Amino acid sequence: MIPDIPISLIALCCGLALILIGLWGMLTQRNMIRIIIGFSLIDTGIHMVMVSIGYVTGGTAPIINDSVPLAEAVKRIVDPVPSALVLTAIVIGLGVTSVMLSFAVRIYKARKTLMIDELTESKL
Amino acid sequence: MMNSLLDMLLHPLGIYVIALGAGFLIPLFDRAHRGSAVLLFIAALAALATIAGVNLLAIIKGAPPIFIETAGISPPFSINMRFGLFEGGVVFALNSVAFLAALHLLGSLRKHASALLLYLIMVMGINGMIMTRDLFNLFIFIEITSLATYALIGMERTGSVLAAGFKYIIATSIASAFFLLGTVFIYYQTGTLNIDDIIVHSDLIQGPIGLIASLFLLTSLLIELKPYPANGWGLDVYETAPSGIASLISVGVSSGVLFALYKLLPLMGDFLPSIALISGVTFLASNIIGLKQGNARRLLGYSSIGQMGLLTMALVMLQQLDAMDMAIIVVGGLFINHLLAKAGLFWLAGIVNREQINDWSALSQHPWLLFLFGSMIAALIGLPPFPGFWGKWELIMQLATADYYGWILLVLAGSLLEAAYLFRWFTRAWQGDITTGTAGLPALRIRFWQPATVGIAVFLLYVMGSGMATLMDVTVPAFLLPLAAGLAMLLVDGLPGRLKNIVMLLIVGFFGIGLTHNLTGINLLFSYLLVGGGLLISIGALYRKDNRRGFYPLLAVLLVSLAALLRARTSLEFFFSWELMTLSSYLLIAVGRNGLKPALSYLLFSLGAAYFIFAGFAVAFAATGSLLLADLGDAGEQAGLVFGLLAAGFVIKLGGFGLHIWLPGSYAEADDDFTAILSSVVSKAGIFGLVTIAAYLGVQADIGLDPAYVLGWIGILTATFGALMAVFQEDIKRLVAYSSMGQLGYIVTGVALMSHLGWISALYTTVNHFLFKGILFLAVAGIILRTNERLMYKMGGLIKNMPVTFTFTMIAIIAMSGVPPLSGYGGKWMLFNALMDKGWYWIAALAFFSSAVAFLYMFRLLQTVFLGQRKLEHAKLREAPAILLAPQVILIAAIMVISAYPKLLLDPLSATIDPWIASTLVWEGTSLVSHYGNWNAPMIMAIVGGVWMIPLIILLLVSLTLKIQKVEQFNIVFAAERPRRPEETHFAYNFFAHYDRAIGFLVRPRATAFWNATVEWTHTFGSSLRIFYTGNGQTYALFIIMYFIGMFLVNGGLEL
Amino acid sequence: MIYASMSEWFGRVGYFGLTLLIVTVYGLLVGALIERIIAKVQGRVGIPYSQPFINIAKTFFKRTAVSHGIMFYLGPVFRIAGGIGTLAFIPVIYGSEMFSNFSMAGDLFLVIYFMFFGQLGMALGAGESGHPYSAIGIARGLSQMTAYEVPFALAVISIVIQYDTLSITEIVAAQQGGWQNWTVITNWVATLAAMLAFLGMTGYSPFDIFLAPQEIPIGPPTEFHSAYLSFLQINRALFGATKLVLFMNLFFGGATGWVELMIKTLLIYMVAIVVGVAFPRFRVDQGIRFFFKIPTLIGIMSIVYVQMVLA
Repeated sequence: MIPDIPISLIALCCGLALILIGLWGMLTQRNMIRIIIGFSLIDTGIHMVMVSIGYVTGGTAPIINDSVPLAEAVKRIVDPVPSALVLTAIVIGLGVTSVMLSFAVRIYKARKTLMIDELTESKL
Repeated sequence: MMNSLLDMLLHPLGIYVIALGAGFLIPLFDRAHRGSAVLLFIAALAALATIAGVNLLAIIKGAPPIFIETAGISPPFSINMRFGLFEGGVVFALNSVAFLAALHLLGSLRKHASALLLYLIMVMGINGMIMTRDLFNLFIFIEITSLATYALIGMERTGSVLAAGFKYIIATSIASAFFLLGTVFIYYQTGTLNIDDIIVHSDLIQGPIGLIASLFLLTSLLIELKPYPANGWGLDVYETAPSGIASLISVGVSSGVLFALYKLLPLMGDFLPSIALISGVTFLASNIIGLKQGNARRLLGYSSIGQMGLLTMALVMLQQLDAMDMAIIVVGGLFINHLLAKAGLFWLAGIVNREQINDWSALSQHPWLLFLFGSMIAALIGLPPFPGFWGKWELIMQLATADYYGWILLVLAGSLLEAAYLFRWFTRAWQGDITTGTAGLPALRIRFWQPATVGIAVFLLYVMGSGMATLMDVTVPAFLLPLAAGLAMLLVDGLPGRLKNIVMLLIVGFFGIGLTHNLTGINLLFSYLLVGGGLLISIGALYRKDNRRGFYPLLAVLLVSLAALLRARTSLEFFFSWELMTLSSYLLIAVGRNGLKPALSYLLFSLGAAYFIFAGFAVAFAATGSLLLADLGDAGEQAGLVFGLLAAGFVIKLGGFGLHIWLPGSYAEADDDFTAILSSVVSKAGIFGLVTIAAYLGVQADIGLDPAYVLGWIGILTATFGALMAVFQEDIKRLVAYSSMGQLGYIVTGVALMSHLGWISALYTTVNHFLFKGILFLAVAGIILRTNERLMYKMGGLIKNMPVTFTFTMIAIIAMSGVPPLSGYGGKWMLFNALMDKGWYWIAALAFFSSAVAFLYMFRLLQTVFLGQRKLEHAKLREAPAILLAPQVILIAAIMVISAYPKLLLDPLSATIDPWIASTLVWEGTSLVSHYGNWNAPMIMAIVGGVWMIPLIILLLVSLTLKIQKVEQFNIVFAAERPRRPEETHFAYNFFAHYDRAIGFLVRPRATAFWNATVEWTHTFGSSLRIFYTGNGQTYALFIIMYFIGMFLVNGGLEL
Repeated sequence: MIYASMSEWFGRVGYFGLTLLIVTVYGLLVGALIERIIAKVQGRVGIPYSQPFINIAKTFFKRTAVSHGIMFYLGPVFRIAGGIGTLAFIPVIYGSEMFSNFSMAGDLFLVIYFMFFGQLGMALGAGESGHPYSAIGIARGLSQMTAYEVPFALAVISIVIQYDTLSITEIVAAQQGGWQNWTVITNWVATLAAMLAFLGMTGYSPFDIFLAPQEIPIGPPTEFHSAYLSFLQINRALFGATKLVLFMNLFFGGATGWVELMIKTLLIYMVAIVVGVAFPRFRVDQGIRFFFKIPTLIGIMSIVYVQMVLA
């Protein structure tokens, strides 16, 4: 018997777990590609958290029509804003990830390495 | 139709329309013709600035703030933006700088059409960050800006730039993730993304989620502002990125983030102390570390981060103190200052294109670039007339009102450290040839248009700074006159040197008299010394025939600012003129032969002094609520502190004991005629300050004895050690410099006495010191001119060649020594009487001792320079030029008159002091009677004249019958030898060797050693602060995470 | 001027001339006496009393002289003017308007500072001769002066506190009424400090290195001869006697008549002579250090003494 856990809680927990895994990846992996993957995980995790926050258990799609009268809308529909935000956030995340990857490519071309701890010439 | 289109385009929304539109068009145009794309790019940027400017102007004229709404629905259900006074000001300033930066960068930007596009988007992103009122929209704009920045950094293909860029991306993307999470949680609790709405419903933000949400937002923005120590990634980008990009990150992106923080501050009420602390620590730490920095751009990075820290701190403090109405001056001033100066410096770094600051010596060949460089550095330090000066002033005043003395200390200490490394850099740039192993570098090739953008930035700094004066309670025209005088002299700087001198005398005379003609009391008295004396001594400068570019403009600034100083009624006016004086005298010392190094220490000590004065004024303002100098006395309980701080400042300026190490070098290495001005005129400004505060605080507020007694001791120790150190100098200018220090010590003690007789002695000695030090330094200038030597043992026997100079020097020295009948005796007599009256017996004993020691160096000067054996190569030297002797004649005449009839001087002096302390001078005929004894100057003069004339007449009569034979040089019998060269017998080098054996241990350079050690420790400390900078991007990411955790724990995380 | 008439002024000048004559002759005789005493101690006959006068006459009437320059020429003038002036500012005989000289022009402070006048002028004159011994001698003399000035200044401050005046006449007045009122009794600490300083001031052994006849043939005056030297010889007697008068006034009750003056000053002088005969010469740095130790300590104690005990 599966306990009656709201799906939004599962999404939230998964999202937070993903964020932590991603962080762990960014902080421990020396390979830049892996770091970027770590970042992607964080990003995805945040998106899941966002979606889970807007979810109303048993709610319906946020379309106000006959089945959802205006008066009950707040209680019955899923908050549409987080979903909308997530869309934007995904786009931005994609952009950042791609820029990071292109940096990785160029660094590899310039330095023949992907190890971040070999890129410490400017410090102090 | 056209009108409405124009209106539409000029609407702030037009910024986005134009930026995005141009963004789409640039690639298209580029296909057709690269040049047209560039043109479009420039036009678009110009349009952004214009739109912001037009709307800002309307708002300043009284139009209401503009709200931009989108999607046809009103907020909070749609995204909206605000274009009010603050937004408009920042946006306009930023867009203008972005325009200039683009011009500066055009050469490299035009290589890729995409770079143009990215640049435009980046600027638009920053505009958005500032204007938007929607939290998520803010996130979008931050991301747009970041993405554009990443891409622009990535345009460079060198490994180091890319590596730095990657670290930058890691750090900022973590920060963005925080921001996004924070936004979501805030939305979760408040149900809105509109910032104004969130602020209204901020009570909904509560519990652990609320705390974490707020902290996510806050940490994210703080990280973007690069707080110490989680800022290594930012520094790496500053160091490596192209200068134009770095300048925009430094001033553009950071300002956008700061503005975002400002918008969210109402939500951060609980965290204000930790924000202030973080930014304060960042300010201080960056400036300490900056001391160790050798790489020019990284140095700018530290300075940049420090300045942002200061700005953030100022913002938070104002919020905390509920004084946001001051933000326009404090934050606005500091912001404009940082924006223009830092951007200009980054551009200059791009033009110079030398990595190590030592290699900036190439600038020494480009005086105009040096001028720009120096102006921007002065602006960053917060010297007048730049906007930062006003901002810092108001900030400190506000901090003082809230009794935040620790914060004042932090701001001033940080500023001093910043001054240290920035001016050290400036010094190296100016110094020229002394480079370390880089002599092989080719000379700079600078095209004439390259510095244009920097020039505009500097010009704007001057304009904005002078303009800001109108916002403050300053009688503007009067206090900007020094700058006007300097500007006028700058315009005629091409004329021959002597002509310029005359022009300068006229201008300074006109302005100086205009400023001081209606003064009264102490100020009037000092106006004779500072303005009249300054003009008189400046006449001596006519002996130099060369052009002396830059000298006369600076001298004009200095002399007129001295006049303005006397006119100051408020502490702000005083401090403004004081700083101008400091800056101009620093530059005047620096133009001396080897003046740069001593000038640097002069500047740092002077700034230290200025900051003491600043702090003193701030405490006074907090205590009295008034800026008027006349109200200083109402400081009540704080009077002791105010007096102590101000006195400390003035004593440093006078070269007080232990704080004197700047003095000999500066005096020695400045131009010889300027040294005369420095010693006899400029030092009087410190005396003026001391007398003024003694008058307002010492008497009225009745602060008790203690601070004054300490001051008395400082004065006499200065006198004693000044004299002792003068004894052991070989260099004539250093000797007279130490002597100057010693003489000022007596004046300090006299002021500290806080009695009528004490003050009279101080003022009398002040006048006297002006007279004899003027003569001595001008005479020294003549000697150096003729012999081209400064070491006294390389001279000797010059009485034969320069009898007039010798006579004047001798009279000046007798006047200084205090031997009757000349004027010095009166000062000593009054001081001694006043000391005995007060019961300061130990000080009186030391005064005796120090004036005895003074005989040693005075005699040494006369003996080794004028007497003894003349060097063979000096046989044909001529007397000093008449123009150099002319002012001395006037000074000698004054000494003689005062010696015979001191009443002529003492009566006005007494009248000056009477309003403060009832007169205790009792005259019996020509005799001045004190409690202990009397002093009948005319009678002493007559008797001494008599007893001197009688033997002289006898000797002359004897001489009539005697065959007196004038003998040649070397006609002496010395150990049964007849010497042939002066070097054998001119006893001059290490003249007081035995004295050194006996008590030389007292004057080993302990103060110098102490300050050197202080510098060393500070550097080591700065070095140790850098351990966080490993260069590893992952470490930096870890710091950021830990930063958040730290913020969380400190701000209540432990209680959850 | 505070004189009623020119005649009063001239009268004063005349009396001062008389004082000057007496003090100078007395100074020369004392000099001869001391020489004779030292000679007796050393088993010699010594000089006749007329010897100093003969010496002066001889040098004064020399027929030739050389000059190294104007300052050299003026040096002796400054020197003797310093001696005469110092005497002029000291009241010599207590209670005698005749012999109070021009002491109304100033006070003790004036006397102390005016003592430098002659020394400075002389130093400059000697300097122009170009002889290194002169310069060395002056450098040593000045250095030593700064050292003995310290105990002396402390002692002076002590008695100024004690008598609450800087006027020499008043200081003497306060000591009248018997030997028990003399400073040497009432403030023996200050007197001790001052007498130690006095040893340095007289320039006798052990503090005579700046004149050292053997090492730097008499130092500053090395190059002076003929009439110049006669001035210096007169001044040596005059200035020495003047200093004795000053010390007598400050510490030993002053004098109400010339005989008292001569006895007292001779006894004061004997202190320096006895010490001088008994002790060998200090090197100059040793001398300086000497004054900065015990005498300075005594000087400091004298001020403490006058504040704690006499107040």
